[in-house]
Formats: sequence, C-alpha cells, structure tokens
Amino acid sequence: MRNKRLTGIALLAISGLALLAVSSATAAPSKKGGTIVVEMASDVDYIDPQLSYFGETWKLEAITACKLFNWPDKEGAAGAVAQPEVAAGLPVISKDGKTYTFTIKNTFKFSNGKAVTAKSFVDSMNRFANPKMQSTGVAFLDVVKGAQDVIDGKAQTISGVKAVGNKLVVQLTKAAPDFLARTTMPFLQAIDPTLAGQIDANGVNEYASCGPYYFSARTPNRSITLKRNPNYKGGRAANADTIQVNIGNDVDVEFQNVEKGTTDYASGGIPATEWKNVVNKYGLNKKDGRVQVRPLLDIAYVAMHHDRPMFKNNPKLAKAVNWAVDRQAFAVQGGYLAGKRTGQILPPGLLGYKPQGIYPLRVTTGTIKQAKKLADGNLRGGKAIMWSSNRGVAPLRAQQIQFNLKQIGIDAEVKLLPRAQQFTNAGNPKTAEYDLTIERWGADYADPYDFINILLDGAQVTNPQHNNYAYFNVAKYNKAMTAASLLVGTKRGSAYAALDGLLMREDPPWAPLINNNDRSFMSGRVGCIVINEAHGSGPLLNTICVK
Amino acid sequence: MTQFLIRRLLWAVFLFIAVTMITYVLFFIVPVDPARQAAGKSATAEDVARISHQLKLDRPIYVQYAYFLKRLIVDRSLGESFANRREVNEMVAEAIPATTGLVLGGAILWMLIALPIGIVSALKPRSLIDRSSMIFVLIGISLPVVWIGVLLQYFIGFRWGLLPNAGYCDLVNPYEGATCGGPWDWFTHMILPWITFAILFAANYARMIRSNMMDTLGEDYVRTARAKGAPEPTVIRRHVMRNALLPIVTMLGLDIGIALGGAVFTESIFGLPGLGKLAVNSFENFDLPTLQGVVVFATLAIIVFNLIVDVLYAVIDPRIRLS
Repeated sequence: MRNKRLTGIALLAISGLALLAVSSATAAPSKKGGTIVVEMASDVDYIDPQLSYFGETWKLEAITACKLFNWPDKEGAAGAVAQPEVAAGLPVISKDGKTYTFTIKNTFKFSNGKAVTAKSFVDSMNRFANPKMQSTGVAFLDVVKGAQDVIDGKAQTISGVKAVGNKLVVQLTKAAPDFLARTTMPFLQAIDPTLAGQIDANGVNEYASCGPYYFSARTPNRSITLKRNPNYKGGRAANADTIQVNIGNDVDVEFQNVEKGTTDYASGGIPATEWKNVVNKYGLNKKDGRVQVRPLLDIAYVAMHHDRPMFKNNPKLAKAVNWAVDRQAFAVQGGYLAGKRTGQILPPGLLGYKPQGIYPLRVTTGTIKQAKKLADGNLRGGKAIMWSSNRGVAPLRAQQIQFNLKQIGIDAEVKLLPRAQQFTNAGNPKTAEYDLTIERWGADYADPYDFINILLDGAQVTNPQHNNYAYFNVAKYNKAMTAASLLVGTKRGSAYAALDGLLMREDPPWAPLINNNDRSFMSGRVGCIVINEAHGSGPLLNTICVK
Repeated sequence: MTQFLIRRLLWAVFLFIAVTMITYVLFFIVPVDPARQAAGKSATAEDVARISHQLKLDRPIYVQYAYFLKRLIVDRSLGESFANRREVNEMVAEAIPATTGLVLGGAILWMLIALPIGIVSALKPRSLIDRSSMIFVLIGISLPVVWIGVLLQYFIGFRWGLLPNAGYCDLVNPYEGATCGGPWDWFTHMILPWITFAILFAANYARMIRSNMMDTLGEDYVRTARAKGAPEPTVIRRHVMRNALLPIVTMLGLDIGIALGGAVFTESIFGLPGLGKLAVNSFENFDLPTLQGVVVFATLAIIVFNLIVDVLYAVIDPRIRLS
C-alpha cells in the first residue's frame, strides 16, 4: 500500500468502550540515554502535524504527539485498544450523541514548557480546517459542526469546538460512533500557541510538541532529529536522548549499516533476499532480538473489476480466479516470512476473522482442474488488462498471476504503473481501465469496517477517489455491510465473519493472496523493543533503548 | 565574434524554450491527476476540485505553461512541489552541491586516468601497455555503472570497511544532527562514487584520446615539424596534443553539462542527495514541478556548457569563428 494512510473511521467504539477497562500505559523498565539511529529510504512529506499524511511520518508523530485518545505502548491485543491520553477518562456524551465534553488533564506540557490545555485542541482543529493550510485530510472533520464553513473560507474558527476552562466541548453534526477513534489521528494532536499562529501551507520543520519527543531539526531529504521532551510527564517511555533519522540510502545500504551497527533500525526495510539469512543468523522474535516479525492487519489481493464486461455478474469466473492463483508463489516473491497465504477478506487477528477455508492456499493439478471447470464458458472473450505496480517484486508477481490466469484461459495483458498512478487511477471510475489490479491494503485501525466497508461498499464507486477497486456494488451486500457496521461486540464480529464468507463464497470481489508481515531488522546494540501496529509498522521508537 | 556570440545566445534561448515545452507537454500526457493524488485516499470530489484549483491544474495546459514561464522568467521561481509544497528552487539548490561535487570530482578523475592511458597507448601502439590499457577500456565500457557501484560499495565499503559504503557529508556547514561533515568526511564519502562515475567516462575518453592522437601523429604538419628537427617532446606537446585534444574539450564540456543534470545511478547507489536522486524521487511521486525543475536546471547546464565550449573553441580555433 502506498505510504499514505487512510484514516480512520474506526467505528465502533471499540475504541471507546473497551478502552476504559485498560489502565493507563506504563513504560517498561528500560535504560535511558544515548542516540538511536534510524534510516529511511526516502523523505517524509511533512512533519507539520496538520499536513503530514505519510505512514513514515505518522510513525515519528506517534512519539511526538499527545492526543485526546491514544494507543498504548504495548504489544498485541492490549496495544490495539485506544485509551484516554490527555483526556481525563472518557468524554461525557450527550444523549443525542452529538456533543462530546472532554476533561483535559493538567499534567501535559509542550517541549517549550507551555501547558497543554483544552485550547490546544481547539487550535489544532482550527489550524487543520484553515483553508490557507491546504490540509489534505480535512475530510475527517466532516462531522464537526462548523468545520466545513472554515474549510470553505466562510468562517475563521470552527463554531462547534470550544474550550471552557479545562473542558473541551465538541459538537457534531450527527452522531458519529467513530469520533473517539478519529482523535487518535496525528492531525488532531494538541498544538502549542506558537504553532497555532503559523499558518503556512508549506508546513513547519520545527515545533514544540507534547509527546515523549519533539522534532528538534529537519533537513529535507537528509535528516530528521528528535529529542526527548524535557517537560513530558505522561506515562509513555522516552528512553533514548536523541533519535536521529537519516534519509536517502536504499535498502541494501540500510541493511549493511544495521549489520555494521552504524544504524539501529532499517525503517525502509532490507533486501527481500536477506530476511532468511538474518533469521538464520540472529533468530526470530527473541526477546529484544534483532529480527522481529509481526503479522500486519493487511492484505494483498487481486481486485476484479465488477463494472467491466469480464467480471460483471460473472461470479463463476471470479471463483475460478480464486482457485487458480498461486498464493504460495506470490508469497515467496516477497522473501522469507513476507506473509501468510489467505483466501478471504479479513486478516487473522481482526475482529470477525474466522478461517473460511473456501479456496485452496496451495495450487495442485486438482485445483487448476476445478478452476478451469468454473471458467469454462464464462471467459467472455478471455482478454483482460491487469494493472500492477512497477516497483520492487510487483512485476514478478504480476507475471506469476498472469501465468495463473493463462492456465484457465484468461489472456491478461499486464500494465505496470508507478504505484501512485496505479491506485489514483484505479480509484477513479473515469480512469479505471482494467479488469484486474493487484492491490494491497493496510489497516488504519483494528476493525473489520476498515476492510469490508471501506474497500467493498458499493456506495462509493461513483466518487472520483475511492478504495473499492473491485467496483463491487451489490445492493444486498451494501445493506449487509451497513447493518454490520452498526453492531457492537461479538454480534459485530459474527456479522462481519458471515459477510466475509458470504462474499467470497457467492460473488468474490477479489482473489485474496497474502496477509503481509511487518519485518523489522535492528542492530545488536538496541533493546526494549515494543511493536504496536496501531502506531505504525516497526518498533516504537520511544521505547527502544541502547543496551 | 560578437555576431557569433549573439547567434549562439539566441540559439540557446530557443533550445531552452523547446526543451521545457516538450517536457511540460510530456508530463501532462501521463494519465495521472496530481490533485487526486495530493488529496489523499479519503478525499471527496470537493477536496479534489479544491486542490486542483490551488495547484492551477484546472486551467488549460497552455495557460499552465504560460504560468510556468512567467514564474520562471519574471519571478525566477520553479514553483512549488506537489508532494510537499516546498519551493523547487530551494530543493534544486540543495541538490546541486552533491551533484556538482560528484561530476567535477569525477571529471578530474576520469581525465587523470584517460589522459596518460590515451597518450601512452597512442605513442606506443600495439605495445604491452597499449593492449593492457585497451583491456581496461573494454572493461570500463562494458561494465554497467550500477554493477561497479554495488560491488565497490559491498566489498570496499561494507566487507572490508576501507571507505564509507554510502551517504553524503557536507563539505562545509553540516546540518544539525549530521553524523559527519567537513572536507575530510566529504572527500572520503565521495571516493567510491567518483570511481563509479568516472570508470565509464575514463574508458571512453582514453579510447578517444588514443584515436585522435594516432590520427594527428600521421598529419603532414607533424611530419614537417619532425623534419625541421623539432625535438620529439615539443612535437608531441605543441603539434600533436594541442590538435588531438581539441575535440576532447568539446566532449568534456558537453559531458559535464549532461552529467550535471543528475548522475541518477551513482547518486542512487551511494545515497547522494543530488539532482539525479531528486529526479527519481519526484518521478516516483509524480511531483511534476520538481521534475520540471531538475529538467530546467539540466537544460540550462547543458546550454551553458555548450556555450562555454563553443566560445572556448572559437577562441582556440579561429576557423570555427570564421565559419
């Protein structure tokens, strides 16, 4: 998936609800001091909190920002539940669900010594909506009363957001169960008064922040330096004194530098062929070990365009593709432990995941025979256009899928495109000229809504920018998706599990391929490693310490 | 001479407009909408329209090109990056030192290698030294830059640790947080990129110098000089080298001009934050203004160096001026 993150429409107040039960985050015992060196292959977009939208930037902002709600520095299920950070507990929500009143803790301070107040969040939302900032994520303010007026330049401040003493009052235009989840986005972090006055569409490269670290310097395309916030009194770890991010080396060099120990973490990854070697050499997932692999809430899949002749009302052919694709070969191209084969929409670990076992995860002569049987008489000419990214192993994977399709009589012409062009054009009905496209999606938050509704709800297919690359738009499934999104708890999980099975069994929009892993390679001098995918891939940089 | 200069300058202006216009049009043929890309995955139609307007992408292409020219000539600005809204002038200016250091250092190195090899090979044709040096030439021309770079980086930089494997250090004023900086760090970090960059050119130049020298050695005026009793070193220096190296000056000027547009492979392998790397990153992000900025700079570099070479040539060889 592209670096940009979609955000979160995390429904359910999973966030909200379960969250309360979790006590506030506590830092693991750790060694403090020193400098951690991180390498990124290419630069981030911005570090300005109201502008940055790359996954790599959010990884850094995960340790610089303080937010109303945040993900704890914990692994596994405990880390996937957002909890109040600057908010002193859950907000008071009005009966109609349209007014949220947060009480703000008085213990948080910015790196410049100023206190974090309710106004810090009002400033943040106003700066975010300010049209002069030209922020690209303002769609996330759509439910906030008066935000659109500011975005349109008709008002200076958002009428629905007010600071009253230590209370932050947010009025919404409609009840939005995902509002708490939205507050975990870096866009809505607290900002200090100086930054609030800096309205510049080019963004700022230094500013005071209220998380465990702050950005002390940035030289675009070269370096980002983060230093420990001397005024931080929240519960999160802040082990290293400095986190130095060097930018520009490719993955081969990053690998060499981590091996030599001049770099501590290769954020850009290492060459696919080296993963097997480093696992053999250093072991896998040892406590504070150098190679850590975690399953991502993520999926790679072939989307089949349901609004073009080949796959329109042609479920048998879509099933045939699912029987034909060689998921194992696809996984192997990504290198050792790249991911786990799958034949369903929801990834393991997600609410609603239930092994469906509908399609084979290993190709045999029997599966090809079954695929041919399904494809027979449903090929509709058999000529197809398949899009793929032109980067990394994507062309090889496209070739392999092309071969699989050929086996069932589909003659697919592969078009390799720059990644940005591929998904931008695929998400636009006017330019989506493909029958199949190889895609990838990573969760923005741990909820099946982010997979089923965001990627397959037919209501969005006419938008000029959407994520339903299968152009899947079937009224009965749309209805079922909406119904599932309104449920909570186990009912919600069961509804999504049923939908997952139903879609893949009756009318598969995709041929799911693999659930990717998050693979991290670190130097021998670092320890205290905590990985929480809700914050972004790789180790949490605030928890890493020098051994 | 004045007429000659005016003619060359007018030609340079025409060339500049032609190149920028063609590249501008080419970028817009690519079927991708930067506004949609910049708007993010969850953007609404209104968001896309708003950003399209902000980036002036909702105007016809010729209007956009006119804006581009006006900005370039009147405001002397290359515009703002689509990817991060930074001034492209600033981004190009930041990338120039690494590329210039690489190209000029590389040019010095390749001339240091090519000159002795070419001259000695020409003076002693079919000798052991000639045959050995031509093997070097063959290897230099045949091996891809990427392969040479990766091998040097892996063995000399990583395995044996003799030199830094990659990265760039500022010659002066390192930025805050820089892990290296200053003349010595800059020099040691540039050695492998220089070698990688210079090998192909050195091989080509050695072959060219050898060939030109051998041609010139057979000229009547060389025979006449020898017949008049001029000492051999004088004949070689004044009559042979002066004439044989004249075309090399042209080649050198043009090659430096072209290379200043970005040594893409070498910069990418060694992580040098130069124009080549900037161009690659811009292309990946469909950041057209930045890519256009690199193209403008490269065009200017080629035109300027071409002009310098023409003028130098005219000064050195009066026949050029008269024609």
